[in-house]
Amino acid sequence: MRYVTIINDTRFEIDIEKDGTLKVNGEPREVDFLALDPSLYSILMNHRSYEVVIEEREGKYEVQMQGKLYTGQVLDERAQLLATRRGSLGAESGEVSIKAPMPGLIAAIPVTEGQEVKKGQTLVILESMKMQNELKTPRDGIVQRISVQPGQSVEQNKLLITLT
Amino acid sequence: METSQTQIKKVLIANRGEIAVRVIRACRELGIATVAVYSDADRTSLHVRYADEAIHIGPPSPRESYLKIEKILDAAKRSGADAIHPGYGFLSEREDFAQAVLDDGLIFIGPPPDAIAKMGDKQVARETVKAVGVPVVPGTEPGLRDDELFAIAGQIGFPIMVKAAAGGGGKGMRAVQNAEELPDALAIARREAESAFGDGHVYLEKLIEGARHIEFQILADTHGNTIHLGERECSIQRRHQKLVEESPSPFVDPDLRRRMGEMAVRAAQACGYVNAGTIECLVDKDKNFYFLEMNTRLQVEHPVTELVTGLDLVKEQIRIARGRRMSPTENFLTPKVWAMECRINAEDPYNNFLPSVGTISTLLLPTGPGVRVDSGVYSGFTITPYYDSMIAKLICWGDDRPEAMLRMRRALEEFSIMGVKHNIPFHQNLLNSFSFIAGKFDNKFVEERFSMTTYEQPASEEDLETAAIAATLFTHRNRQLAMQVVKSNERDTSNWKWLSRWERVHR
Repeated sequence: MRYVTIINDTRFEIDIEKDGTLKVNGEPREVDFLALDPSLYSILMNHRSYEVVIEEREGKYEVQMQGKLYTGQVLDERAQLLATRRGSLGAESGEVSIKAPMPGLIAAIPVTEGQEVKKGQTLVILESMKMQNELKTPRDGIVQRISVQPGQSVEQNKLLITLT
Repeated sequence: METSQTQIKKVLIANRGEIAVRVIRACRELGIATVAVYSDADRTSLHVRYADEAIHIGPPSPRESYLKIEKILDAAKRSGADAIHPGYGFLSEREDFAQAVLDDGLIFIGPPPDAIAKMGDKQVARETVKAVGVPVVPGTEPGLRDDELFAIAGQIGFPIMVKAAAGGGGKGMRAVQNAEELPDALAIARREAESAFGDGHVYLEKLIEGARHIEFQILADTHGNTIHLGERECSIQRRHQKLVEESPSPFVDPDLRRRMGEMAVRAAQACGYVNAGTIECLVDKDKNFYFLEMNTRLQVEHPVTELVTGLDLVKEQIRIARGRRMSPTENFLTPKVWAMECRINAEDPYNNFLPSVGTISTLLLPTGPGVRVDSGVYSGFTITPYYDSMIAKLICWGDDRPEAMLRMRRALEEFSIMGVKHNIPFHQNLLNSFSFIAGKFDNKFVEERFSMTTYEQPASEEDLETAAIAATLFTHRNRQLAMQVVKSNERDTSNWKWLSRWERVHR
């Protein structure tokens, strides 16, 4: 079985055969991979010992190892095919939806529809966890639509602002 | 005069999270029964699990539960508690609460209401300590209108701080560089203060640049003893929220410790203080110090003082509230160890420290020599948006500062929290920064001279590959397990053999 695994933007081709042998980019690797609980694993490789926590969330993998968090994707051949057809995600053009990262109260919206904004500019001040949290734009753009009003309570993932 | 001693048999903790757990632990050790209170959002919280009794006090919003005096007092009555510990935040610095507790014939494990009142009103506090020769930072009284504040701001001179009159913990606090920024800063500060404390009053204070935040722990009993337990260095802050505290401070020499300590004791005595409290100061580059405020409660960062002095401050608080003599009666001038605390917050350091909510899916706590964790969470616990984002405190100590830092690094590496974003990477990077290691920083260090990328060591090719192998085997294994369950007729071995294999991988 061939997988393409992308960890912190580095791509690895990993083959796992029926007999359990494993190759990384064509090079064989001896790996002792043991499950300690559903997300905790012990890996022994070349006598080196790693304790790793692995979790999957919405198709993204998180690997916590030696105090560091690695994130990435594991794609089998079918998933790779789909991904190439869909084109790359997260492009610099098109619409960007700013959603509430947590439930809270809209304290202020310091922008107006049609306004040009620069990357890092504050779009919404969301009051949550007793803090005024400034939600900023991930890139330059124009505020196309504001879907909430100051004083409004919002749930997590509620669409707040659409940028073009 | 000998003050009468009082028995405490059952303590209600008017708080939640790690501090409630901390107080419960002290009570347990003293053989005192404990009562937790909880909102709808906290039924599954650790403090409810650890307490002997738990009483529901209302909806998640603090204003309808943890800030409601009548509900807390009613819970005390229903449970038969004879004393209340307020923790920090919430009602801990409200003199009307302390007074109401006393009026109900209960013991308040904290200072007398009039000491809270004097120190809680920033203007009265400044006048009180100025009268005994304690230096203060130039500023205004609270409660002024915006137009009055605009006028006085010009006289004090920028940069200037806007602070909440009822404040603490950085809420309702803003630094203002010039007159143009003042109107917005006032509006935001008033809004934050209103939502955090139910009181939108603010005041101004001159901002002393390049200053360190250094505070002194005070302990006073009803037998006339008032002492200090040395300093805590709290300059590592972001938006006036402390992130790392240590004791002693790398900036404080024995002479400064003695002088500041004497000042702190005088300030506490000036308001008739009893129980544990903290004198917060700004110290400039030339070691001039200014009184900022007194926190009339236990601090979040009290554990570093506990480790340096060998005292249990919550037990001392209870001793004092019982009318007994506190165990130390001399100022503490010689630190036994070096202690450091990292506040572990559910905040994403890679995204402007945005708070993160959700369920903690995995929690592995560090242990071993020189490590203490005060936590309010567990694996499976859900962090809600109703309360602040601090989920645990990691405290490490060693013979000296380098050993404390090396232990902290090791402990941070052992710490795994999955399911929510957290600031452990921030602490790891901070402990790699040369300025921090050298002890050269002020209270603007994190905001102005620290970046998450400068000290982040890039992952090695080998580690990336190991992580990739781990993620791939994880996926492969889960897929194989799923297929084995589905395609049972395609098994190449007997059902019995297969079952034992299945159990082996599911152990």
